[in-house]
Amino acid sequence: MFPWIYEFRWTVGHIIFLGVFFTVAAVVVSTVVLALRRSKKAIADPRREALQWTSEFEDLPAVVRACRHQLSGEVKERTCHHEFDCRSCATHPQFLARTAPAIHAAAEESLCGISMPLDRYYHRGHTWVKPEGDGTFTIGLDEFGSRMIGQPDAVALPEVGSAVLANGTGWTMRKRSSDLRVLAPIDGVVVEQGGPDKGWYLRVRSEGTEPQFRHLLRGHEIRPWLVRELERLEYALSSDGIGLSLADGGELMPDLWKQSPEIDWEGVWGSMLLQA
Amino acid sequence: MDKQFIPRGLRRTTFGKFMAWMIPWILVLGFGLYAIYLCLAEGLFHTNMDNRFAFGLWIYLDLTVIALGAGAFFTGFLLYILRREEARAVINSAVVLGLICYSGAVAVLMVDVGQPLRAWFTFWHPNTHSMLTEVTFCLTAYLTVLLIEYVPIVLKNRKLRQIPRFLVFEFQLHKIMPVLAGVGTFLSFFHQGSLGGLYGVLQGRPFAFREALGIWPSTFFLFVLSAAAAGPSFVLVMTALVQGISKKKLVKPEVLQFLGRISGSLLLVYILVKAIDTLVWMNYTSPMVGFSAFEFYNAGSFGTWILVLEVVVLGLVPALLLVNGHMRARPLVLLGAALMTCCGVMLNRFVMTIQTLALPTLPFDAVLSYMPSWEEVATFVAVLAYGVLLYSLSFRYLTLFPQEKDIRQS
Amino acid sequence: MDQGTQKKSRYGMLIDLDRCNGCGACMVACAVEHNVAPAEHKATARTGVTWLRVAPMSNGGEFPATDTIYVPMPCQQCEKDTPCVAVCPQNAVDVDPATGIVGQVPQRCLGCRYCMTACPYHARYFDWWDPQWPKGMEQALNPDVAPRMRGVVEKCNFCHARLHTARTKAAAEGRESINPADYVPACVEVCPSKAIVFGDLEDATSELAQAVKHPHVFRFLEKLGTESKVYYRSDKQWVLDKAKSLQTV
Repeated sequence: MFPWIYEFRWTVGHIIFLGVFFTVAAVVVSTVVLALRRSKKAIADPRREALQWTSEFEDLPAVVRACRHQLSGEVKERTCHHEFDCRSCATHPQFLARTAPAIHAAAEESLCGISMPLDRYYHRGHTWVKPEGDGTFTIGLDEFGSRMIGQPDAVALPEVGSAVLANGTGWTMRKRSSDLRVLAPIDGVVVEQGGPDKGWYLRVRSEGTEPQFRHLLRGHEIRPWLVRELERLEYALSSDGIGLSLADGGELMPDLWKQSPEIDWEGVWGSMLLQA
Repeated sequence: MDKQFIPRGLRRTTFGKFMAWMIPWILVLGFGLYAIYLCLAEGLFHTNMDNRFAFGLWIYLDLTVIALGAGAFFTGFLLYILRREEARAVINSAVVLGLICYSGAVAVLMVDVGQPLRAWFTFWHPNTHSMLTEVTFCLTAYLTVLLIEYVPIVLKNRKLRQIPRFLVFEFQLHKIMPVLAGVGTFLSFFHQGSLGGLYGVLQGRPFAFREALGIWPSTFFLFVLSAAAAGPSFVLVMTALVQGISKKKLVKPEVLQFLGRISGSLLLVYILVKAIDTLVWMNYTSPMVGFSAFEFYNAGSFGTWILVLEVVVLGLVPALLLVNGHMRARPLVLLGAALMTCCGVMLNRFVMTIQTLALPTLPFDAVLSYMPSWEEVATFVAVLAYGVLLYSLSFRYLTLFPQEKDIRQS
Repeated sequence: MDQGTQKKSRYGMLIDLDRCNGCGACMVACAVEHNVAPAEHKATARTGVTWLRVAPMSNGGEFPATDTIYVPMPCQQCEKDTPCVAVCPQNAVDVDPATGIVGQVPQRCLGCRYCMTACPYHARYFDWWDPQWPKGMEQALNPDVAPRMRGVVEKCNFCHARLHTARTKAAAEGRESINPADYVPACVEVCPSKAIVFGDLEDATSELAQAVKHPHVFRFLEKLGTESKVYYRSDKQWVLDKAKSLQTV
């Protein structure tokens, strides 16, 4: 292949053939090098959280990716293509304009023993965000989540002063042998750490003028979403071959996992917390 | 015990049952590795190949699995280049199948050659006129591409993706996948063709020799076409097989029909070109060098029935079944036709490799026979076992069929 | 090769099939000349190494009309589109433009056997076993020819080592070209019935160049167009018919 090799003679055939081959090899190698360099850059970048969510979202089952307007019955079938960020969705405002905001007098929504106060906004990964009136917002795990998981064994909250990103990691919890990643509902800077005992996990100050809650569920959307989530939980449990009955009018038991601890709870919790 | 590694939302059998399935295959693989050891350590006299039948079961296996493995490049081509979203449902599975086929073929080739440690000589002193040089270069490059394509599938494993470094790399790699799919298509086109050219250039074997179109014999293009036609059919058959063994619905029926339609259309074109090629060969190429084409079919047990079986029964018939929408809509017909397509291409590779060598060229020679030795068969079966093992592991721990969880959940 | 200064030759052979009685002396002489190891006890006619194979050819007639001749078949040294040269992936086969001899480089051979598939004369042999000589026999090896290892392809090269010796001799004596009497392949030398004529086809005065003009001279598979340089002769009509007829199987 090289000119100094004994008796090697360059011909047009060699130039074409080896030229093509080395071009191909160069393309393959540079592709991999490019991917490696890009990922090296991305790993150092705080926006890696966004990248992770993009990747996870893609792998969520289509049922989970259903549009909130499908849950509320406004449209028959629609899959979200905006990674649950209605702020970047062009169709979302049209839906809002079409449907008059339902008057919701009730202070909370309750289903199967789970009560969801309506003074706050809910993220589809079972966290809520509540404006505290002083410019800060508290973030917590909703009751569906806390009943399903129970008291966490350990909680790792972000440091005061660090930023959280909507759909990025809010905090992580350890329960039994599982590490659970809980998604943050909004962008913000942590000002105070809470915990399971305080009823909230994080208090954040939102950067910018006004936090955008557009992508979060509220009011009339909560009940259909909860119904859907119960179905999803039931399905997740059945994946393991164990049919835990949840929706026969009974309650979602606190510390649900205790009912059959042998199940792959990491799998169940993860899929309910929107991990692929 | 391995539940934490199984993708979320998928239902897989217990670890015990999984091992019960794997262990027999591991034993088969081990037996095959022993046969491979004998061939490598003691010599190729362990095979039943000889100076007259210098290529045997292994070369047949290589040509066949590479033709079927074309499903990987063709599915990638459909998805990333032609943007046919239907192909996304099987792309991961197709990549694993392709990887198995190509790595298996390369492994067997390394046993087949007398001095495997000299394999790099081809890169050092390449003879650019040899089809085998081209095959070597393309196979090496394409196997690398397949490995790179397999990496993101592995990194998406539930546990591995929790490592941010892997997740990010997977994401970046996935973004440039169309480039790799393009390279894969390019490489596949050439090495599938060159595998056909391998026999088409043999002027000393009038049964295989074909007229040249440009610098390539017609078999170059026939192999490209037949591999492209068989690839989707193989993906279809394998998907159906995995569905049957795992007793799960893995893809929507439309996906299989889509694969069948693509396969059928390409097969129809292939059969047309093949028919023209055969007629040219019978009436022109073969008589020119002193051989009447029909005499080849009087030799031994190779009658014209083999031609009819290849071109009509396992070619034209499945092609017509697959292009017909009503026929294709019946799952059994679809599967049967796809299976026939694969068998047709396998028979074509048999004819090109084994029949070509069995037929004598000298007037005082008789038809040769060849029966593979147990070492050859064991090596062949080891590749099969390796494929089953790698595929089973991938099926259990990786997401091979993205639609599976959607189908279960809806 | 350093043949630039020497005149071009085209070495060839004419084998008179009517003289050949199938004794096999040429095969033995060839094996001895080229250090072909004794056959393994498991070796068959199809797995053993013989650079020169003597095959029987019969007219297929019933007794008493039956007739059989023997066809010694070394590498036919194809000149045009040499089938084995184009296929070798790593240039381990070449045709020497100065001699027309098709050379095989076992040291570079990968053992893929594609050349064996390509050869219509089946004149190429693969080393299926490790070559082994009984104790003491290695003393009798020909020092001019390198033995081949297991897993490579080998074949007749018209006793290329003898050509080298002849050239060395010529050079020592200050001649530019070799003396044809110094370059005689082992099979030609040993044939008890003098059935083989060897020489330079390029040299119009050579015995070979004259002899191949005879109308009863033919080559096998002439229509393939490989321009082989091993010619055969027989005065028996059935042999001529069979060799020139379409393939009959």
